[in-house]
Amino acid sequence: MRQQSLLRHAGQRLLGVLPTLLLLITVVFFLMRIAPGGPFDSEKALPPDIQANLEAKYHLDEPLLQQYFRYLGQILVLDFGPSFQYKDWTVNELIAQGFPVSLTIGGFAMLLGFLVGVTVGVLSALRQNTAADYATMGFAMLGVSIPNFVVAPVLILLFAVYAGWLPAGGWDGGWRSAVLPVITLALPVIAYIARLMRGSMIEMLHSNFIRTARAKGLPEWHVILRHALKPALLPVISYMGPATAALITGSVVIERIFAIPGLGSYFVQGALNRDYTLVMGVVIFYGFLIIMLNFIVDMLYSILNPKIRYEER
Amino acid sequence: MSKFFRHRRCYALQILLLCLLAPGPAMAEPLRRGLGPEPDSLDIHQAQGLAALQVLRDTHEGLLSLDAAGELMPGVAESWRQSDDGLRLEFTLREDAQWSNGDPLTADDFIRGWQRALAPESQARTASLLLPVRGAQAVIEGRAAAATLAISAPGPHRLSVELERPTPWFLELLTHPVTFPLHAQLGASVRERPVNGAFLLQEHVPRAYLRLQRNPRFHSVHEVALEQVEYVPIEDPGTELSQFRAGALHITETIPPGRHDWLAENYADALRVAPYMGSFWLGLNLSRPPLANKPGLRRALSLAIDREVLTRVVMGAGEQPAWSLVPDGLAGYQTPQEPARRWSDQQRLQRARTLYERAGYSEQKPLRIQLRFNTSATHRRMAVAVAAMWKQALGVRTELLHEEWKVFVNNRAQGTLTQVFRGGWIADYADPVSFLELFRSDDALNSSFYRNQDYDQLLEDAATAAAGQRLALLRQAEQLLLRDTPVIPLYTYVSRHLVDPRVRGFINNPRDVHLSRHLTLGAP
Repeated sequence: MRQQSLLRHAGQRLLGVLPTLLLLITVVFFLMRIAPGGPFDSEKALPPDIQANLEAKYHLDEPLLQQYFRYLGQILVLDFGPSFQYKDWTVNELIAQGFPVSLTIGGFAMLLGFLVGVTVGVLSALRQNTAADYATMGFAMLGVSIPNFVVAPVLILLFAVYAGWLPAGGWDGGWRSAVLPVITLALPVIAYIARLMRGSMIEMLHSNFIRTARAKGLPEWHVILRHALKPALLPVISYMGPATAALITGSVVIERIFAIPGLGSYFVQGALNRDYTLVMGVVIFYGFLIIMLNFIVDMLYSILNPKIRYEER
Repeated sequence: MSKFFRHRRCYALQILLLCLLAPGPAMAEPLRRGLGPEPDSLDIHQAQGLAALQVLRDTHEGLLSLDAAGELMPGVAESWRQSDDGLRLEFTLREDAQWSNGDPLTADDFIRGWQRALAPESQARTASLLLPVRGAQAVIEGRAAAATLAISAPGPHRLSVELERPTPWFLELLTHPVTFPLHAQLGASVRERPVNGAFLLQEHVPRAYLRLQRNPRFHSVHEVALEQVEYVPIEDPGTELSQFRAGALHITETIPPGRHDWLAENYADALRVAPYMGSFWLGLNLSRPPLANKPGLRRALSLAIDREVLTRVVMGAGEQPAWSLVPDGLAGYQTPQEPARRWSDQQRLQRARTLYERAGYSEQKPLRIQLRFNTSATHRRMAVAVAAMWKQALGVRTELLHEEWKVFVNNRAQGTLTQVFRGGWIADYADPVSFLELFRSDDALNSSFYRNQDYDQLLEDAATAAAGQRLALLRQAEQLLLRDTPVIPLYTYVSRHLVDPRVRGFINNPRDVHLSRHLTLGAP
């Protein structure tokens, strides 16, 4: 019975994705066009005939509404069109090149952040208010508050320039070029998850069902791993949905400092260059990912937390 | 699964053994060059950015090329002749020139390229460089067919070009990618088209690297030392510097702002700073108050800026202070002498104050003015310093406005909001005209809205004058321009690179073009 209503709920949620995406596309499409300046504006104005031909090529000479519906039509067949800025590539090609890189780095950073963060958080909660707890939480506070554009150059200086163990940046697809960016990206995630985990773990350890479990004489590790950990993970899980989406679509700062060809820079470069198609492409892609990941988080929630049920109304 | 891994490990072991046993290096080390931003296009007609042009000069070749010192040298054309009136050029092409797929390279490939560049439907971004060719204006405006362009092939290896008027810098334009030959095979994607340069594009991962391999069919392949060149797009100069320090780059595209002195101390043998044919200035909008019709006030603003302090202390990347528009030494041109250059600071400021007061401003009634620039840390430093100098010397109240590049460019071109704005120019060709024509009354880039018929006439006279007279007329024009002060020249650009001492053949030059075919990489 529960499974059935879960499926029904999943179906409803998935149906809700479409209007959300449509709204996103519409808002971004018109916002981009409102921004002053166009993709072909540069220091040197183009001869008028060339400008006109360029606009015709990208259909910018059509009325805005017609452009909008043309774009919607393209999206239906998953064609994001050619990039204005990187003229030799289509937006699909750019996403196909950039996403695996961002996914690799962001994915590993999330994994590292989750594993280390949860472990540190649990240990901290178990040793609440001891020196070790204060030390790790102080460290976590530092991790949250030191921005990555400070951490990254320091890591580069230490491990690449002075020690020479790892590359100073760039991307050749190998693991060595991923180490420093993954660590830099993971540090704030570790810190954030550790703090979340510690808080919710402490709360769990003081709740009645844990007291009951202990009173039954269960071994402490059993109480923690089997009974406390699962519900304590809930806030972490709900944080992880959007955080994962943000991490695997690339970080502008990390990509710039480590010269990594991920997706993140396209948001900024695309917007600054008025590369309409590129911005639309990455925004839709990002929007889709974040909706899907939130959906997955919701589903995980109902599996982890028996209190959440999707009953029929 | 485990079998798979065992297999893989075995494979890796074999490679390792092979590497250890192989006699000497099997593959030469590639030369790794920083490129700045990702190239906007590798289509010779679509490329605009310097990064793209740099790569295209390695993978393609025009009628002329540039030697290691950045001077003109024969390219696909082995010789050329110019008629006495300068209007007709005859090129003889190398018979051994060929495309990377083995097709012979003939005069028709150049005709095809130029016609396509100018045809409006091909949307070539830099086509206007070809305007000196007779008939080009009509073609680019769509008034005439591309075939009417005055370029013809008297034979498969002979090319004849007629010009609209004598253009002393025309030969230099023939090293620009928009004038390169075009293979008939157009349908394929840009990356698969045949090329005719010293290198072939082997692999291109956007924003990661462009791997170039020596082209065995290049006519002078025996003179090309490098087997592989890797261009690495790195937007952040700080990152580029780290990579250079870590040994991952041999040549950087630039150096980070403010690091010049540190690098001069710690990387003296690698730092290369040299004059570059670009100028940086503040433009003044002459079509609006408060600067319209006030040459004295404009001059006061110019005199109040201490270029020495600005370049040495504020910018700190080796820029050269400038009092004139055209960088010194372009094509034998001598910039007009600015008297203020020899004045003491006190004299200069005294003169500035006098002019400022004569224009009707004072402590009690200060000039309020807007200084507009595009968002960038470097420009902000410049703007803050200039505003401080104006305030200190004259009491001017400056409002600093920064705008995103696209917005800034539009506002500057329209001129309905601007008062003082950031300006600058990097010459398309090494001739003073490249700078001076920006202030012709009808020039689209004249965002100062400077209108002076005498100035226009001087440029016109120079265009038709004999070679000896030309530079003198241009000098007069610049003198006039500086007197009217529609711009405040601040400094001339420099090219800045870090070059690994192992790299040979890298010669500083004002065009800042360093073709990979002239470079070699010594043993570590």
